[in-house]
Amino acid sequence: MHYRRIYILPTRAGWGFACLLFCMFVAGLNYSNSTALFLTFWLVGFALVGLHLCHRNLLGIALQGATAVPAFAGDAGRLELTLENPAPLMRLRIEADLPGVAPSVTDIAARGAARLSVAVPTTVRGRILIDGLRLTTALPFGLFRAWTWVYLPVELVVYPRARGSLPLPTVAGVARGARMRGGSGGDEWLGLRAFRDGDSPRQVAWKAYARGAPLLVKEYCAAAAPERYFDFERLPNLDTERRLEQLAAWIVDAENRGERYALTLPGARLALDRGTQHRHRCLRALALHGLAPARHATAVTR
Amino acid sequence: MPLPSHAERDRLRPLLWATAAFAAGALLNVDRIPLWATAVLIACAAWRLSVAAHKLPALPKFAQLILTFVLVACVVATFHTLNGLPAGTVLLVVMGSIKLLETSTRRDRFIVIGAAFFLLFAACLDRQTLARLPLYLGEAGLCCTALIVSAYGGEGLSFRFAGKLAARSLLLALPLAIVFFLFFPRLPGGFWALPARDAAVTGLGDSMSPGSISELTASYEPAFRVRFAGAIPPPQERYWRGPVLHDFDGYTWRHGAGQAYQQAALHYLGEPFRYSVTLVPSANRWWFALDTVVGSPDKRVFFSYDYDLVAREPVTQPTTYDALSYTHTESSEPLSNAARRMESALPPERNPRTRELAARLRAQAPADRDFVRAAIEFLRSGGFQYSLTPPKLDFDSVDDFLFRTREGFCGHYASAFVALMRAGGVPARVVTGYQGGEWNPIGGYFLIRQSDAHAWAEVWIDGRGWQRIDPTAIVAPERLRRGILDILPDAVSGGARLLYSTPFLARLMQGWDALNTAWNERIVKFDVNTQFGILEHLGVHSGDWTALIAALGTGLVGWLGWIAWHIGRSAGPRPADRLARAYARLCRKLAHAGIARDADEGPLAYAARIGRSRPDLMARAQPLLARYAQLRYGPVSGQVAAIATAAFERMVLRWHVARRPPRVQSRQDKSV
Repeated sequence: MHYRRIYILPTRAGWGFACLLFCMFVAGLNYSNSTALFLTFWLVGFALVGLHLCHRNLLGIALQGATAVPAFAGDAGRLELTLENPAPLMRLRIEADLPGVAPSVTDIAARGAARLSVAVPTTVRGRILIDGLRLTTALPFGLFRAWTWVYLPVELVVYPRARGSLPLPTVAGVARGARMRGGSGGDEWLGLRAFRDGDSPRQVAWKAYARGAPLLVKEYCAAAAPERYFDFERLPNLDTERRLEQLAAWIVDAENRGERYALTLPGARLALDRGTQHRHRCLRALALHGLAPARHATAVTR
Repeated sequence: MPLPSHAERDRLRPLLWATAAFAAGALLNVDRIPLWATAVLIACAAWRLSVAAHKLPALPKFAQLILTFVLVACVVATFHTLNGLPAGTVLLVVMGSIKLLETSTRRDRFIVIGAAFFLLFAACLDRQTLARLPLYLGEAGLCCTALIVSAYGGEGLSFRFAGKLAARSLLLALPLAIVFFLFFPRLPGGFWALPARDAAVTGLGDSMSPGSISELTASYEPAFRVRFAGAIPPPQERYWRGPVLHDFDGYTWRHGAGQAYQQAALHYLGEPFRYSVTLVPSANRWWFALDTVVGSPDKRVFFSYDYDLVAREPVTQPTTYDALSYTHTESSEPLSNAARRMESALPPERNPRTRELAARLRAQAPADRDFVRAAIEFLRSGGFQYSLTPPKLDFDSVDDFLFRTREGFCGHYASAFVALMRAGGVPARVVTGYQGGEWNPIGGYFLIRQSDAHAWAEVWIDGRGWQRIDPTAIVAPERLRRGILDILPDAVSGGARLLYSTPFLARLMQGWDALNTAWNERIVKFDVNTQFGILEHLGVHSGDWTALIAALGTGLVGWLGWIAWHIGRSAGPRPADRLARAYARLCRKLAHAGIARDADEGPLAYAARIGRSRPDLMARAQPLLARYAQLRYGPVSGQVAAIATAAFERMVLRWHVARRPPRVQSRQDKSV
């Protein structure tokens, strides 16, 4: 359990209901009317049961995992959550939200789990430390709203905006026979190798897997794969942020073309490679360039 | 008409539920709201649902505004006020209907459902009969379900889920409602009174013409209920006195207003009867009591000169009072001249043959007593018949009855007898009321129905005062001992006859009536006195508010604790089953003995380890662990498993594990 306390307060509808009950109560008491008073007391009990049900709707939900999906500055990053419900009762309309962000809502089946994606708006590159997340519910009656703060903490990396007017730097060299996965029809079949994290599912040899083999990845030998070297220092006419943006644009571009690339930053060097993970490592290095290590970043506070 | 698709219908669900709850709330008040308001509700609901199904365009905002003004004006025109329960209810129905037109968000739906709750409340306020209770329960459930469906919104929850949740929540809330109902201090009197409802006037009136009583007799409706404390008068003494009629115009007897005489002081004979009467609202001002009541039983009612009870206000609510009566009285005072004149008056030139007869009988019997006896004898031997459907009488009704038709009902006999008495110079008056009553063995009370309506006579005998003479009993003596239905099966409607002639149904109806009475006496009339009664029953004799508050607080805290536990416990993972609990207990015992199970250790591996390091525990632990493994993973199931599990539980419970291993050899070696 990642949270300590569940807070609960009436919603606007709850206050309205309370007013309604108060009017009923005064009228019923005045007329000493048994049926009306009983109805009033019963509805008071119903609302109080609702309070506990609302509390319970949130109670026991466990956050199984929170992953921050990076984004380019200006785009919305995502916080991917997996909420688990260990109890044999359905959870209704659990909202997860960060301050100032529209909540995302989900039901969680009895003894089930649900994935939620919360959009995190970004403005500048760097890291966003999301240490708290609010889980809220007003169900089942809508008369009370219960919420709790979930301590994550998760770091969301915000890449620099991928923009720049400079063309890709000239090809530094073409590595013959470089290994390449997937590839076009002209590539030569190289063989199978073990699956590594980050490989695309399209390259997995599913037929072999279906026959009982472990997860394997088909490899092809590229006819020719250009190599590119991106260097921070070679962009002297721009300020730091523009340079980082230009580098980000090149990385995205090169990755899209299926080329191998290396990145050199002051104090950091990423060797020639390609693939989703490599792209992330490079962009992350750009994002965090010149920033102090964790904790001192822009943090989303409660 | 093409039906909307599934998804479409799901999307409509919250709106449909809110509409249904509101419409049902209005339906509970349908007897109070005018027809046009019902029409407005139906039209608005239909329009809104058509809009939702994309069949009609939404009503523009200004049109809704105009509609609001028009309808509020209609309410004012109908009731001349916006205050009070009827006008308020109709206003709520109308405003809610208009709100329905623009209902699209959750907030709108909540407002409509709130109105539905209030309509239910308004219905409860002044119609608390037991028969309506299921309707109220249904509406409460409907409103709560609608609330849940509306709160979820979107494509909507299924009826099963929401309905079950609402029902379960209401059930959980019931104990709190009962505690509050019992112990929340009630006010002894209200700040302001509920305006009286217009009720149809039923029961005996203050006049009687031939046939008016038999009209009443056809009604099987209850008039009042009587619960005796102690002795119960025999059937022939069960005369329930109502309006006394003094004025006769030759055809109709009237109570007569503006004239009165001194009430004669009474000597009460025989044993008193104590009882309480609960009147069914009749909108009349008469209260009924066993003939003759001793004084006024309540300050709201006036004990009049002719011993009947006249209330200051019409009876519009069930009214209960305790009374004391004697069935026989005497008065030695003389009757004043004014009273004698008034009670001997007959319209001149009417009913000449009756006068002739009176004169003839009088000539033979100079004493009043003998004259009365002669008149009784005339009725007994005159070939009179007791009938509910006698021929119509003409203008001189007494003459016509005594000498031509000779067929009549209690009213005819009472009327003719009193007229005859007055013609002979004996002061006499007609007394109307009820006779008999049906014993309800389930409720332990008498139910007096309109069909028990009766009329009899009173004559003044000097030295004895007013004496009751029932001419009907002379003609049809069995009338007093048996109900009207035994004598005249056609007296009442077919339904009532069927009830009467089918013992099972009669019993069922008696049970229902007893239930209703208990409901009215215990629940509807529940007040601060009842609360103190309950406290005394619980052994608290303080009779003040603090005890009530203490009971209320205890109940509230207890309920809150219970509800928190009950609801909270279902949020976690399902509690372990019996077998797992017993196994956990076994492991705890073994851990206590110094050999704890590792988290990843299976029962058999655990047993093996115990065998290696604690052979002293082996003899008991090994079979228990093996049995657990068999019960948990083996092919046992169903009842066999349940029995075996129970046995396993017992064995675990009974085993007292030695804390330390017995002293072993090595230790002894050391001490040597």
